[in-house]
Amino acid sequence: MRMYETIFIADPDLQDEVRKDLFEKFKNILVQEGGILANFDDWGNKKLAYEIAKKSRGHYVCMTYGGTGALITELERNFRLDDKVLKYMTILLEKDIDPEALKQQIEAEAQAEAEAKAETEAAKTEAAKTEAAKTEAAKTEEPKAEEAVETAADETGEVEAGTEEIEEDK
Amino acid sequence: MAFQRKNTKKRFYQRRKVCRFCADSTLEINYKDGKALRPFITERGKIIPRRITGTCAKHQRTLSTAIKQARTIALLPYVGKLS
Repeated sequence: MRMYETIFIADPDLQDEVRKDLFEKFKNILVQEGGILANFDDWGNKKLAYEIAKKSRGHYVCMTYGGTGALITELERNFRLDDKVLKYMTILLEKDIDPEALKQQIEAEAQAEAEAKAETEAAKTEAAKTEAAKTEAAKTEEPKAEEAVETAADETGEVEAGTEEIEEDK
Repeated sequence: MAFQRKNTKKRFYQRRKVCRFCADSTLEINYKDGKALRPFITERGKIIPRRITGTCAKHQRTLSTAIKQARTIALLPYVGKLS
């Protein structure tokens, strides 16, 4: 079995449901042809370096998977048939991998991810506490120094951005 | 003439360029990171030769394949615009 990575650019103007169906379809093809999906990474809408089919933006998706050559031909045939896919590119990552080892690796990664999530949640609550403390401190120091308030505001902004990301992950 | 040239030390010293990927092993060449490849292409989108950037032969090879892959998937331009 070989390890591949495929990036495809989907139409940016699709409805969310249609897009979901499209991704499901390719995932199904992958499983049907005996592939093992290791990672499905949705990059979202990005600006293209050059226009493709009169479009200057594209929805990037990166898939990492183990499979055979037959899987690639089938997958790329479907990419070509589908109008919703603007462009695709497949790259060979590793020539010879053990399917069992890959499965185990995926499981281990999933576990690690779950642990990391729990940790970030713990960190989140802690960050909220420190944030509250900081704002209080800033309030008390407000008449003394304006700079301190500014830095505190910056930091709280960062923390907020971090929590937003975590929420999106969920 | 030859004598004169020998005496006038007009050779200007140029700092030896070091391959930045050899100097910092944490740097990775990856086609998915278009921004990281930007310093190695011109405004027109051409790959800058290694005699200019100072990249070593090994890393220039991987760099050029990465740039070409990034072009294929529209992360980098084939033909850039003059800004």
